[in-house]
Amino acid sequence: MARRSTGIIRRLLAVWAGCVVVFMYLPVACVTLASFSRNRYFRFPIPNYDTKWYERAFSSLSVQELFQTSLSIALLVTVISVVLAFFGALAFARFQWRGRKLYQRIILLPIFFPQAVLGLALLLWYSSLGIIPDWRTAVFAHLVWIVPIATLVISIQAYSFDAALEEAAFDLGASRWQVLWEVTMPILWPGVFSGALFSFLLSWGNFPLSMFTTGADQTIPEWLYAKMVAGYTPLVPTLGALTTLGAATLLLGGYAVIVLLRRLRS
Amino acid sequence: MANEPILCLAGITKRFGPLTAVNQIDLDIHDGEFFTVVGPSGSGKTTLLRMLAGMEQPSAGDILLRGNRINDIPANRRPTCMVFQSLALFPHRSVGQNIEFSLKMKGIDGAERRRRCEQLLEQLRLPLDYYSKSVTQCSGGERQRVALARALAFDPEILFFDEPLSAIDYRLRKTLEKELKDIHRETGKTFVYITHSLEEAMVMSDRIGILDRGRLIQVGTPDEIYNHPANKFVSQFMGEVNMIEVSIEADGRLVSQDLPMALAGPDTGIANAHGYLVIRPESMRFLGSGEEADNRVEGKLYNIYSLGSRIQYQVRVGEQVFLVEKLREQRFHGELDDIVAIGWDRHDSIVVSD
Amino acid sequence: MPALRAWLKQSGPLCAAPISVLLLLGFAAPLAVVVGYSLMPPNTFDFAHLPTIENFVSIVRDSYYRSFLWAFGLAVLTVVILLVLCYPLAYGIAKLFGRWSMLLTLVLVIPLFVSENIRLFGWVLFLIKGGVLLGALQTWFGVELGGLLYSVPAIVFGLVYVYLPFMLFPLVLGVSMVSSEVTEAAGDLGANRWQIFTQIELPLAMPGVLIGSLLTFVLALGSLAEAKILGGQAVIMIADDIETAFTFSQNWPLGSALAVLLLLLVGGLVLYVLSRLDLDAILGRR
Repeated sequence: MARRSTGIIRRLLAVWAGCVVVFMYLPVACVTLASFSRNRYFRFPIPNYDTKWYERAFSSLSVQELFQTSLSIALLVTVISVVLAFFGALAFARFQWRGRKLYQRIILLPIFFPQAVLGLALLLWYSSLGIIPDWRTAVFAHLVWIVPIATLVISIQAYSFDAALEEAAFDLGASRWQVLWEVTMPILWPGVFSGALFSFLLSWGNFPLSMFTTGADQTIPEWLYAKMVAGYTPLVPTLGALTTLGAATLLLGGYAVIVLLRRLRS
Repeated sequence: MANEPILCLAGITKRFGPLTAVNQIDLDIHDGEFFTVVGPSGSGKTTLLRMLAGMEQPSAGDILLRGNRINDIPANRRPTCMVFQSLALFPHRSVGQNIEFSLKMKGIDGAERRRRCEQLLEQLRLPLDYYSKSVTQCSGGERQRVALARALAFDPEILFFDEPLSAIDYRLRKTLEKELKDIHRETGKTFVYITHSLEEAMVMSDRIGILDRGRLIQVGTPDEIYNHPANKFVSQFMGEVNMIEVSIEADGRLVSQDLPMALAGPDTGIANAHGYLVIRPESMRFLGSGEEADNRVEGKLYNIYSLGSRIQYQVRVGEQVFLVEKLREQRFHGELDDIVAIGWDRHDSIVVSD
Repeated sequence: MPALRAWLKQSGPLCAAPISVLLLLGFAAPLAVVVGYSLMPPNTFDFAHLPTIENFVSIVRDSYYRSFLWAFGLAVLTVVILLVLCYPLAYGIAKLFGRWSMLLTLVLVIPLFVSENIRLFGWVLFLIKGGVLLGALQTWFGVELGGLLYSVPAIVFGLVYVYLPFMLFPLVLGVSMVSSEVTEAAGDLGANRWQIFTQIELPLAMPGVLIGSLLTFVLALGSLAEAKILGGQAVIMIADDIETAFTFSQNWPLGSALAVLLLLLVGGLVLYVLSRLDLDAILGRR
């Protein structure tokens, strides 16, 4: 393979990558722009810039309620998801047992699935059980979709886990719980941390499942959608920009934590 | 070294579904000896070791430690410790924390653990300041020593070794083999080692057991195995030897299909059987005019191999290939494609069965 | 029974139990309920009736299948477009960009965690009349164009946008499975670039291609927001019809029947593709 042609291909692909990045972030940029518009209705070029909608967002009671609903759901989902996914990942990647292959495929099913249909199915299920949907039923709905994803994330970490480490610890006198605590968890924690991060963010930004299973409560994405379709206010782009900023901060911060801790260790 | 058995295996068998990995092994391992189980991949040696260490359960048979049956005792309660092939050092812990691990599991306090750890660092010729060093920064040889120190820490009665040197380059391996044997001498513990290299086993072991497809073929000291291999498998396992397929006649004579001559071989005391005549390359010699030997053949010098201090000659006699080894100072002065005469004496050969 | 109990006591099944219970209650059960409802007479809300296939008949008779076909067609189109767009990028990330790959991946992952509503809304702001694109064109260049939203291309655009990462990352995984030594050897044996691609790279990367295509197809098939936000009433997707049946029309059995058809297609495809893949090899054991 001539070096020169690889160099050209590399440069072309870098340009292409740049285009894709711009493509991905363009709508986010538009939303951020719109949040600074003073006018009630959006027009470009923006006639007047203002941050008043940000002040409104922070002071509005209804926004605070939305925030609380989204946060409660996301936090609860994260905690439960991490526990279930940790053990689920051990079963997925770490242990050899009969039925593992089938289990792997079943775990993936909720991911390869249209969320709106899942949400509706859950709604039907709740009503046939006589359960009235509210933010707690939304937690359950999120878990069905998010726990498999978190399981996958932790599994990827678990695959590179040397089984001999656990055996060695066992051989050296550790009980099964001590093995879990001293060896398995410390080595798998970056995967668990990523799983927790993903769980939180995916729950926070989820719309299709929330739409059908929160009942009277409302999350931020639901509110955004409702306002987009009818009753537009510039609070929409404002909340959108804030949410994006929050997600980016969490992700970059989480990544930085992992890199830092890894460097500290060695 | 006392000769009482510390570990007795009686009828040890392991089946995985239809596959029998380990088949009816009876073996006594003596207190304080360095015993090596040698076998090719798939011979069952790893499975056997894991059963002794407590990681697997035998399908049948008993394992007795000083007369007590330990089949049902799990690995973490056996007074034994294993050094793994990948060493299995905890990457998230320092050298010191690795070594102390078994002591921590026992509940021994920090100061005592540290004291014992420093003792081991010294014994294994590691610098004391390695205590807080990360294991990922240690060299290959250092990691081996850390793994060994970790295994020795809680003073086990038997140490098991699962081919720990197989992934290391030649020079380091040679050094570590000797170090391992030295440490065996210093600690006086029983070492049970497995490897696929008979050469490695010969360097370190007091006794060797040869495993082929789950069965124990031969057990003996390195000398015994070297001089009296039990069968064709063991002979070939020892490296390059000359092997002539023979049938033993009713009167005890040896007849070969490939060599059209009467073979003068050792007295086997058997008649009407099939076997192999084995001659070591170093026992073969080139016969000049007038020189004699019990057996003499002529063939073409096909190739010459330089093996460092020795030179190996490949001589083809019809379908049979002979290897002759000579020390470099006593090299044979011949050219490729020359017709040469080689020979050996009957007392330098043995006959083995299939 | 004792064999079952012994099996359950192993580490594997024990660890798998909690998540399995979750999926049983939260995935299998709801879907069973949906199947059950699909066999009930139209416009009923409970199971106290005799099973009937009336709903499935009406899907064909009343042209509900059209939304199904639209969704199917758009999903296929999306997959094809994304394959072409993402494969070169995946190749770059997996093979060429070196240290930048990690950063690039992170940058491309972040939008995934921003609610799709917000991102689609951003496109609305961009493409709407008087929005960022058209407004800029009009004000600065004097070019006046009609609205770009509320059309089929807009929906495709939205689908391609939202599901790009879902195609990209499996493709990266797939391409990274192609060892560079193997491609070098092929070149050494006389194959040209195109032949290496079709004979070596593509077959070896196929697991990633399959997963990415499957994921994108299934998600696009059942998508709702893109068509609604960017397409308005231009196209009704199957998920939209299902939602309408459940909410406005109050016809749960019909909605369930539509959902069952969707499930059959999705479930069949997914199980078929997943059963042909060795997940251990793809996800980690390298």
